[in-house]
Amino acid sequence: MDQVTLIQRLLIPTLQILAVVLVLPLLIAYLQLVERKVLGFMQARLAPRRVGWHGLLQPIADAVKLLIKEDIIPEKADRFLFTLAPIATVIPALAALAVIPIAGASFTVAGYEVKPFITDVNVALLYLLAISSLGIYGIILGGWASNSKYSLLGALRSSAQMISYEVPLGFAIIGVLMLAGSASMVEIVEAQKSAGVWYVLPQIVGFFCYFIAAIAETNRVPFDLPEAEAELVAGFHTEYSGMKFAFFFLAEYTNMIVVSCIVTVLFFGGWLRPFPNVESLWWLENGWLILLPLTIGGFAGWLFGQKTRRGIPPMIAGGAIGAAAGAVLAIGDAGGLASLHVPVVSGAFWFFLKISVFLFMYIWFRGTYPRYRYDQLMALGWKWLIPLSVANVIGTGLAIVVKNAVLGKG
Amino acid sequence: MGATVRMVEAPRTTRARDLLKTFLLLELWVGLWVTLKNQFRPHITVEYPKERVDLSPRFRGIPRLRFHPESGEELCIACHLCETVCPDDCIHIVSEKKPDGKGKRLVSFEINLERCCFCGLCVDPCPTKPLTAIYMSHDYEMADFKRDNFVAPLKVLLNGVDPKDYKE
Repeated sequence: MDQVTLIQRLLIPTLQILAVVLVLPLLIAYLQLVERKVLGFMQARLAPRRVGWHGLLQPIADAVKLLIKEDIIPEKADRFLFTLAPIATVIPALAALAVIPIAGASFTVAGYEVKPFITDVNVALLYLLAISSLGIYGIILGGWASNSKYSLLGALRSSAQMISYEVPLGFAIIGVLMLAGSASMVEIVEAQKSAGVWYVLPQIVGFFCYFIAAIAETNRVPFDLPEAEAELVAGFHTEYSGMKFAFFFLAEYTNMIVVSCIVTVLFFGGWLRPFPNVESLWWLENGWLILLPLTIGGFAGWLFGQKTRRGIPPMIAGGAIGAAAGAVLAIGDAGGLASLHVPVVSGAFWFFLKISVFLFMYIWFRGTYPRYRYDQLMALGWKWLIPLSVANVIGTGLAIVVKNAVLGKG
Repeated sequence: MGATVRMVEAPRTTRARDLLKTFLLLELWVGLWVTLKNQFRPHITVEYPKERVDLSPRFRGIPRLRFHPESGEELCIACHLCETVCPDDCIHIVSEKKPDGKGKRLVSFEINLERCCFCGLCVDPCPTKPLTAIYMSHDYEMADFKRDNFVAPLKVLLNGVDPKDYKE
């Protein structure tokens, strides 16, 4: 192997992995701030505001607190497993990000080609399913090793939940697999591009099943039985503190991000803009030029409205000003601003926008729904999601057969 | 004799509508709409040290003594009525005869805020007119590190407490 390939194959992926591992915790810290803010606003509260401007430094303060907090291991706990559990939870969560492509085109840095994903294996979906079921291992270990009744109950609930929801999760993906004819994340998005439609339309049932099952897999509201703070103190991580707790926390939010990425790639066209095949909507490629000022303007207006108790009008005004400025920029692209059109930026923009929508939905659900009772959880999984997802697989298969027969293929 | 329960069949249209409701997850969407809408409602948080809630004029905070608004003299005539009526026995008054003969004046007037229940009964019998000598102020910040500081002497009762940092 010559030097170029060595760098291409070894150094760049290593740097990418480092980037993910280092940037993600920061991202998650701020995701948590967003969560607290959104929940606060949903409850007509202000949420964190004391540390930094509008609480912007709150995540840093939280991180410092977690770092310097005493790391307690209960006397009767199994010390080895107790320490292993958070690690066993966070590593699969991070490893799942390896196959997520964030943009279509690769770009060059200093003459070397950098791909917008760490690796593109042709069995990415299989890998994701396998690695995401591994994450539960840490939760069960933690619950068992804590030697506490609450932790054990949380872990038991988690394993039962996992077994029930793994099945619809797998079935829901099969529909996409059949349509795309590939298990590679990149090829699935490419297939959506050539189909001219995001798979959420033909696979609406599959998306529905997948998203619900995925929320259950990540142990989030309304399926947060493993940590059910009202019943089990904190469930499987009751006995954890300091950095070990932070690891569980990190894993939960990483899993949320991973699920949002998978949903985006499988059902919402990954890095593709809306209507990827409609030529006249080319300016959507520059969507970030419109949406970024719109968001910033709207957000500033919203904060102003919250602070001065003027409600929604400032937000609309701010958003409108931002959007107008952005639209001028984006559509004026043809006249001189064409350099702004970079495929990687455009792809990453749409990808992250879609992820944010799903992350927001996670928080939104948390602000809206009460927790499922244990038997209701089981009923939903076994009596609704599994039949529905199996029916979706059969329906998709039939549709493909009929379509091929009509078009005279196969 | 057990009561008989007769099942009433729901009309066909209602059942169909209920089924549709269940399958389209109507109630879930309604719930989501409520939380989404409420995000844009102005907040109702009062950021306490920076802002304060408006108190009712009848709010009963720490009981205090009053100066005469014009002459600046103490209004209290040391009649001991508030001490007598106090259900918690938290008021302690020491008085002496005025040197110029008529009436009495205060030597010390203490309210033990640890015992005070902020009932305001001491204000009712206060005989000075038109302003009562003792009144319920609108101060409510009473945290302290020493128990001794909860017995408010005359000076504090007349002038109020200076805002201070809570340092031990």
